[in-house]
Amino acid sequence: MVDINLSQPPFNLLDERGRQRVRDGVDLAYFNEGEVMLDAGQRGEHVFLIHKGEVAELDLNASDGERRIGHYTAGDLFGAISILNGTSRYRFQVEQECLCYLLPRALFEDICHSYPDFDDFFRQHLAEKAHHVLQRQAESGMSMARFMLARVAECMREPVVVDGRTTIAEAVTHLRERHADSLLVSHAGRCGMVTKTDLLDALVHQGLSHSAEVFGIAHFTLVTSHADDYLFSALVSMTRHEVARVVVMEGTQAVGVVELTDVLGYFSSRAHVVSLQIEQAEDIESLALASARLPQLIQALMAQGVKLRFVMELLAALNGRIIHKAFRFLIPETHQVQSCLLVMGSEGRGEQILKTDQDNALILADGSDWPGIADAMGSLTDTLGRLGYPPCPGNIMVSNPQWVASESAWRGKIARWASSRDPQALMNLAIMLDAHAIAGNASLLEGLREHLFARGSHDELLLSYFARGVLRYSTPLTLFGSLKRPEHGIDIKKGGLFPIVHGVRTLALERRIAATSTFARLDALVDDGRLDRPFADDLGEAMALFSELRLRQQLDSLDNNEASQEPNHVIVQRLSGFERDLLREALHTVKEFKQRLSQRFHLEY
Amino acid sequence: MIKALRRAGDRRRQLGGHHAWRFEPYCGSEVIALDCETTDLDPRRAELVALAAVKIRDGRVLTSESLDLRLQRPESLSGDSIRIHGLRGVDLWGGEALGDALDRLLDFIGNRPLLGWCIDYDVAVINRHLRPRTGFDLPNRTLDICRLYARERQRIQPGSEPDIRFEAMSEALGVPVMGRHTALGDAVTTALMYLRLCHGRAVSA
Repeated sequence: MVDINLSQPPFNLLDERGRQRVRDGVDLAYFNEGEVMLDAGQRGEHVFLIHKGEVAELDLNASDGERRIGHYTAGDLFGAISILNGTSRYRFQVEQECLCYLLPRALFEDICHSYPDFDDFFRQHLAEKAHHVLQRQAESGMSMARFMLARVAECMREPVVVDGRTTIAEAVTHLRERHADSLLVSHAGRCGMVTKTDLLDALVHQGLSHSAEVFGIAHFTLVTSHADDYLFSALVSMTRHEVARVVVMEGTQAVGVVELTDVLGYFSSRAHVVSLQIEQAEDIESLALASARLPQLIQALMAQGVKLRFVMELLAALNGRIIHKAFRFLIPETHQVQSCLLVMGSEGRGEQILKTDQDNALILADGSDWPGIADAMGSLTDTLGRLGYPPCPGNIMVSNPQWVASESAWRGKIARWASSRDPQALMNLAIMLDAHAIAGNASLLEGLREHLFARGSHDELLLSYFARGVLRYSTPLTLFGSLKRPEHGIDIKKGGLFPIVHGVRTLALERRIAATSTFARLDALVDDGRLDRPFADDLGEAMALFSELRLRQQLDSLDNNEASQEPNHVIVQRLSGFERDLLREALHTVKEFKQRLSQRFHLEY
Repeated sequence: MIKALRRAGDRRRQLGGHHAWRFEPYCGSEVIALDCETTDLDPRRAELVALAAVKIRDGRVLTSESLDLRLQRPESLSGDSIRIHGLRGVDLWGGEALGDALDRLLDFIGNRPLLGWCIDYDVAVINRHLRPRTGFDLPNRTLDICRLYARERQRIQPGSEPDIRFEAMSEALGVPVMGRHTALGDAVTTALMYLRLCHGRAVSA
C-alpha cells in the first residue's frame, strides 16, 4: 500500500510493470528537521522521492552565502545521480520534517538496466532533458509541436531543374507537367529560380517572346536553407525576406524547394496570416490592427508547445517588419537612405516576447541635411506608441535628441563612453552592442559596430568593467524557496536572464561577433572556440527556460488583466517538481558561467 | 495476569515443538506494524477479512518487505463492515484460506514485537482463530500506538486528555494517512506514527 505518484517524469518512462516494481520495492522513511539524509562523499544507497516535507541541497565547498544549491519538496526526486556517480557530491539536509520513499540502489540499477529511457533520463544534460520534454509534448498529440520539430527535409519538394537555355514556352510546359510553382535554373554553375509570377511578368509586362531563354528572367539571389533546419526557421526566413519559397541547399547543390503553401498545409496557423496583414497594410491604421494580433499569435504558439526560440525569432521578424513599415510610411525616401533606424535592448537581440518598450535610435550619414528631423522623430515615436510599443521609461528613443546623431557624433559618443566607464556609459555601450538595424541604410550601423569593436575588443580594462555587470545580482540559488516568504519568489530576470545575456554580450564584444541575438552569439562563440558546444547548449537552454517561465507569467497576467503581478518573479513553490529540477540546473549553469567570466575578466575582487 | 499465565502455559506446551523459538524474547531492533480488517468490532464475533503487516527497521518503514493478505470470504461478511473497509464478497474471491494466512503471518512476524492501533483488538481476533489451530496465542510483545501516543502527550502536557482516534493522531503527528481502512495502509500509517514518536523522543531527549 504505497500511494506514490508515478505519473510524473521520470516514472512515466516506465511501463505499468516497471511502475509496479517501483511500488513494490520502495520503503518509507521519516527524517527529522536538520537530519542529514545523504552526506557529501557518502555512497548513494537510495533514490529519495519526497512524499512530504522539504530538503535542502548544500554544497559544502562553497562559501556560506552560496551553500544552498537546491531545494526539493513534495514530489521531487534526488539521489539518483549519487548512485550513478558512486558517491554524493552534495549534502542533503532536511529542512522541514520529511517523509520519503526510498528506492533501493539495487532496484534502481535494475530498472535503469531494463528501461533505457529511464536510464537516459538521469544521464542527460539539461539541454537534452528539455528537448525530451518537448518531444514528449509532441507525442501527446500536439500537432503544433510536431510541426516545430519537423525538419525542412520532411516538407520539401523535388526541385525541377532546367538549363538556363530553356525557353519560356518549355518552362511553362515543365511547370504544368510537374504541378510546380517554380523552376530552378542552373546557368553557368549558378543556381537561380523562376516562378510563375516571373514568367507572367516576362510575357505580359516585358513583352518577351515565348522563345526567350529563362536565365534572363531568373533570380540568382536565393533564400536558402538546409535540409536539417527546422521547418519553422524556413518559415521565419520567408517572412523576413518576403518570399514564398526557399531553396534547400546541400553544399552548393540545390536538393529541394520548400513552398509556402506546403508549409501552410503543414501549419495552418495564424502566423503567416498576421505577416500577410503586415505586408499588405497600406496605412498606419491597418498596421496597428495587424500589430494588435501579435500577442494572440504568441499565446497560441506557446499554448501549442512551440519552442520559445522560434517564437522569439518569428516575433522579432514580425516586429521588425512592422517598425520597418512605419518608418517607410513616415519618413521621406530621400532621408531613408541617409539614415538608419536601430532597435536596441531585447528588441535588438530579437528576444522580446510580448511587445516591449521602444528602445530605438537613429544614425544619420555624415554630411546629410535634414532640417525637420526632430519633428519627424517625434511623430515616429508617437506612431510606434499607437502601434502598441509603449515609450521607453529610460527615454532611449528617437524622440530624444541624444539618441539621434550623425555617424561621426556616434563615434565620439562611443569613445567617450568607453573611456569614462561609469555605470551609465557602460549601460549605453551595452545598449549599443545590441543594436540591430531595422530600417534605412544598414551599412551605417555596420560601420559603427566596427568602430565599437575596434575600440572595445582589446581594451582589457573596459572589458573587465563591462563584465562586472554580470556579478551585479547575486546568484538566486541562495534565495531559492525562501520559506519565510513563500510569496516572494525569485527574480529570474536579474538572477538568470541578465547574467547570461550580459556575459554572452561581453564575450561577443571581446570576440567581435556582430550577431545580436544571444542564441546566435552563442553559436558564433562556439565556432570561435571561446565556448565549448555542450556548455553553450546548456546556456541557451537555460536562457530559453527563463524566458519561457517569464513569458508564461506575462501571458497569465495578460489573461487576468493583472498588471500588478511581477512577471520576473517566479514562485518556486508553484512550479511542478520537474520544472523546479530544470530551473535548478539552469541556475547552476548560470553560476558556472559567472565563475568562468570572473576568471576570464579577473572579477574576483 | 491471566495473559501472562496463559503465555507461560503455552510456552511449556510448545517446549521442544517447532514453535518454541517464538517464545524466546526478541533481541533485534525490528518491529512489526500490524493491522486487520474484520467483519465486526466485537473481537468475540469478528471474522478476519484482510491482514497486513509491515516491518520497521532502523527508522524506516520497509514497505518493500510487507505482508498483505486478503482472506476467503467469511460467513459473517455484512454491509456494515463492507462500508468501512470496502472489501466486498467479490473482492475476496481468490483470497487465502484462513489457516494459510495465519501461517504466513506467523512466519512473517516471528518473535518480533507487534505494533498497532489498539493492537489488543487485532491480537484478540487473531488469537481466537489461531488458538484452535496451533494451540497457543501470539506470544509476541505488543506495542499500542495509542498508549505510546497518550504517554508522550501527557509527558509534554500533563493532565491533558489526548485524542487517540486514528485520524486525529495522524494529524497531530503530521503523518499522512496512506489509504485508510485498507489493512496495509493502516499498518503503514501506524508505522509512520511510531517512527514519528520515537524520533521526536530521540530529539527532545
